Amino acid sequence: VCTGQVWMCVLMLCDCVCVQAQKLLRERLCHQKLPDQPVGLDSQYKHMLELLRRTAVHGESNSVLIVGPRGSGKTMLLGCVLRELMSLREVQKNVLLVELNGLLQTDDKIALKEITRQLHLENVVGDKVFGSFAENLAFLLEALKKGDKSSSRPVLFVLDEFDLFAHHKNQTLLYNLLDVSQSAQTPVAVVGLTCRLDVLELLEKRVKSRFSHRQIHLFSSLSFSQYVDVVRAQLSLPPDFPDPKFSDEWNHSKLCDDKTVEEILRRNFNGSKDFRSLHSLLFLAVSRVSVSHSTLREADLIEACRLISADSKANVLHGLSILELCLIIAMKHLNDTYDGEPFNFQMAFEHLLQLELVRPVDSGVCKVQREYQLMRLMLEHGQVMEALQKYPQCPTDVKQWALSAFG
Amino acid sequence: MSRYITRLRMRRAYKWNGRPVSKDRKLKRQYYESMSISVEGKTEDVTVSLGQYILIEGDDDDNPFVAQLLKLYTDDSGKKKTAVVQWFVRMCEVPQNKRKLLGRDPHPQEIFFYQDRSCDNEVDGETILGAVQIEYVPVEDPFPKGKSKGILFVKLLWDTKSFRALNPELMQPPQSSKSPPPSSHGTQTRALPTPDLSVMKRAMSGILTRGSMSTGKMSSSEAESLHSASKLSAAKALSAKRRSRAVSGPHVRKKLDLCSPSKNMTRDDVLGEILDEHTEKTLTSKLNTSPTGRISISIRLTRLNLNEEECVSPLSSHSPDKPRLTAYDKDDATRARTPSRRKDALREPALAALAEEEHEYSPVQTAATPCSKRKSAQLESSRIRKQLNLLGNTVDLQSDGEDGDDDDCFVPAKIDLQSSSDEEEEAKIDSEDELIVKKRRGSGTSRSTEKTRVSARTPRKTPSKKTAPATPRTPRHATPSIPSRSAPAKKPGNVLEEARVSCQKLQETTVLLVDELDLLWTRKQNVMYNLFDWPTRRNARLVVLTIANTMDLPERIMINRVASRLGLTRMSFQPYTFKQLQQIITSRLNRVKAFEEDALQLVSRKVAALSGDARRCLDICRRATEICEHSGSQKNSSGLVGMSHVMEALDEMFSSSYIAAIRCASVQEQLFLRAVIAEFRRLGLEEATFQQVFVQHQALCRVEGLQPVNVSEGLTVCQRLGSCRLLLLEGSRLDLFLRIRLNVSQDDVLFALKAD
Repeated sequence: VCTGQVWMCVLMLCDCVCVQAQKLLRERLCHQKLPDQPVGLDSQYKHMLELLRRTAVHGESNSVLIVGPRGSGKTMLLGCVLRELMSLREVQKNVLLVELNGLLQTDDKIALKEITRQLHLENVVGDKVFGSFAENLAFLLEALKKGDKSSSRPVLFVLDEFDLFAHHKNQTLLYNLLDVSQSAQTPVAVVGLTCRLDVLELLEKRVKSRFSHRQIHLFSSLSFSQYVDVVRAQLSLPPDFPDPKFSDEWNHSKLCDDKTVEEILRRNFNGSKDFRSLHSLLFLAVSRVSVSHSTLREADLIEACRLISADSKANVLHGLSILELCLIIAMKHLNDTYDGEPFNFQMAFEHLLQLELVRPVDSGVCKVQREYQLMRLMLEHGQVMEALQKYPQCPTDVKQWALSAFG
Repeated sequence: MSRYITRLRMRRAYKWNGRPVSKDRKLKRQYYESMSISVEGKTEDVTVSLGQYILIEGDDDDNPFVAQLLKLYTDDSGKKKTAVVQWFVRMCEVPQNKRKLLGRDPHPQEIFFYQDRSCDNEVDGETILGAVQIEYVPVEDPFPKGKSKGILFVKLLWDTKSFRALNPELMQPPQSSKSPPPSSHGTQTRALPTPDLSVMKRAMSGILTRGSMSTGKMSSSEAESLHSASKLSAAKALSAKRRSRAVSGPHVRKKLDLCSPSKNMTRDDVLGEILDEHTEKTLTSKLNTSPTGRISISIRLTRLNLNEEECVSPLSSHSPDKPRLTAYDKDDATRARTPSRRKDALREPALAALAEEEHEYSPVQTAATPCSKRKSAQLESSRIRKQLNLLGNTVDLQSDGEDGDDDDCFVPAKIDLQSSSDEEEEAKIDSEDELIVKKRRGSGTSRSTEKTRVSARTPRKTPSKKTAPATPRTPRHATPSIPSRSAPAKKPGNVLEEARVSCQKLQETTVLLVDELDLLWTRKQNVMYNLFDWPTRRNARLVVLTIANTMDLPERIMINRVASRLGLTRMSFQPYTFKQLQQIITSRLNRVKAFEEDALQLVSRKVAALSGDARRCLDICRRATEICEHSGSQKNSSGLVGMSHVMEALDEMFSSSYIAAIRCASVQEQLFLRAVIAEFRRLGLEEATFQQVFVQHQALCRVEGLQPVNVSEGLTVCQRLGSCRLLLLEGSRLDLFLRIRLNVSQDDVLFALKAD
């Protein structure tokens, strides 16, 4: 009994430590906490900080666009800059921050309401009726002035998904914000975040002319070795981890040096350089850590990679009945013979239709009888074959049929 | 900044007390002794009668104008109530630079008897706010203490040049026999009961001014002195200041209203002068022949510039009144720049580059740019020509230009010229001048500073209702007043019409400036139609000036009936040439040596070649100074912004980001792009479906020795490229059949891919 209890205790302790480690890593991968210093974006960081500092401290108006593909760290960069900026005492009590998102503020009215709310001016505006957007905005900015004319508070406008604001009617919001930033009124900084490289072409001429044409491009020029370093850093436990022995053991595992792991990472790196996809890969791997195997092993990563890179439609095929599979195969052959021409069916195949593996061709003009509606196969040749290979207990003659060259 | 029009105002109702005391048949006027004012929400009516001291609504609600009521009359229609008054001024209405003349600190409740024969003393009766108590304090006596705040003291007389002791007789109401003792204050000091001749005369002159058309009795010399100096020059500075705070509501303006035929000679002389200054001399002859020539001043100064002072000052020497104006201008200039000045204060003394950066950037104001000046003159000449030739009726001017070409900027400068010339004229002769400037901006930016500038030059005139500028957001909102929630909004057309009619009643010439005209486009084009229709009506006295950035706007969007109402004057603004751009930068630099000559030329040539956008030009300079500032801290000897800095800034602004984006893309993304191009070549089309490209992609993967991607991954890659707009994609629901197009030229892609 005694040895049993001790064993249990050891197990629980171990459990505890490993769960803790897992929790810590998952938080790191999931919560998108701001890093202490943005990786590989030093010059952009400096530029951005200087720009916003000018507005916040010296009251110079500015406008800038941060452009970069999804997951390239635009929001992270801005977050870091704002964190540093707000740590200055004079800035903290003086600067106002307004954050808008193109996905949320879908038109200028909503945006204006949101600006009012974020500036805490609802009570000032009350139930005034404004004739125009510009007046309303001017009123808001006016309300921010602290008594005397020369010392109005700087306002930072952050427009996430900037390109969506360009679709608002007449681009009134942008026109007015940029116009304020061009004329010596309240000091404002307009920071736009977007992933569209052609965002300037979306702006109307008069809006474009008022934009300062400062763009900060974020393209990650990370090399593979740097990428692996990041993985290592992401997976290592911090020095203040409660169980030093465990963390030491964890940190010294030679996971990243493993050949297969490196291959997986390279594959992922080739796919995309952004950290979001990396995080989701690592997250899956870390989730597999349990009491029974308390360290991260290459098998975990391989499994995670398999899950992530699995073809979604091939997965769906696995769930089909033999009959439905036959249909698919028939269609595949049709596709091969007639080189992708649309085909029709006299059979019922609603299920396939529901799964969107086949889809009717849009016939805008006339209603065709249901049986004769033209259909398209939404599967690649390889996908079908792969699914067939993996299909549990697939009749061999079906497989044969699929492999044969003729329908 | 300004107060907002949305603020609720009290409504006042005005009523005559009793029957008219006398009648002037010739002038068709009926004189009254008193008037009662009932204020909405208050039970007691206020009664003002002749001889009493009154408050008159001004731009500043806290300090309304003070005057003594001399006469009250109505015209035969009985609608318009007019009051003849003797003005008093507050210390704050005296120009800054003359305040020292007093030699002591003014008492907070002190006012001065205002003696300026040129000042118009007729006001709209409906601007009277109520009665006020004024006490005369002899010069040597101290100000009484412990009196209520409402009482004002008068000790001295201000004649626009100096403070003098006030003869208490002047305070005497002209017709004391008739006027009942003021109800609110019995303790009034009134030394002599007999009417004073000079006061009587002064009181009458106002009426004569109005009546001079019909009576024609007044000698021209007298009329001249009456109008020679613009009214209450002292108050000009003040009123500007006031207006900067208070915008809404009826403003007090004192009107110089005279159209006497005896003045034609003088007007021509002066116009000749103006034309010498600004326009072709040939115009003079035309002016002479114009029978009902009418000059409008339009005063709207959106932006302030230093050059402007220079163009005003030579003119300003014409009348003793003028130096004050310029002095004020300077005042205004410094004030307008405060936002940037503040930076000076905050910033530790830095490089020359820094200082210069501020000048150049303080976006405050565009100088009267070379191009603008030329346009201004042109515009003015055409304005005068048209106005005088077409029986003072109308001009439609439309200016088109690229954005950033200053089609906006020129306007202030132009109107400025106009106003300066007109002010001069106003000073020299007595022509009828009136103005209302309403500004409409299509998409609506009300620049707060604008308001300040408007008032900076608007002489105080006879109180009359002025439509407050509103900036419409949509064509529907392009109406002069903003409906309050309680009162339902009227139809825009009606409101516009009403506003027009009311302007017409005031006998004023109106300049209507419409910015961003294209945004006023509606399907039926009613707004535009009305806009251009007004000036074509009889007695419209309206100048419609519109600004748009589309060169062929009338041809493109206007329907025939609108286009045909458009005046013929169209001014197109070419993009700036590099010389002009260079001049703009230099003027903005304000003689600070910060740029190397070559650098300046490079910027302006580059921008001129691309777009000619002045804003862009300044932005580049601004960025270049920043770059210089950063590098300068390390070594740079000269401290000037040089070629290298400018080049860097230019690269930053003009370089295409597509190539950099492709270079930094991941391996699979690059492969996909390559696959797209390969597929395009195979098909001979610029479009392919995902399925087709995917096959190519897999083949390429094999060639490169990479593990082929599956469809899901391929789609992810494709969508990522699509979100950057390197590819143009259809909706992702189309899956395999989604069509792909390149958003970059194939050569660019190949170039970018080859480099590494």
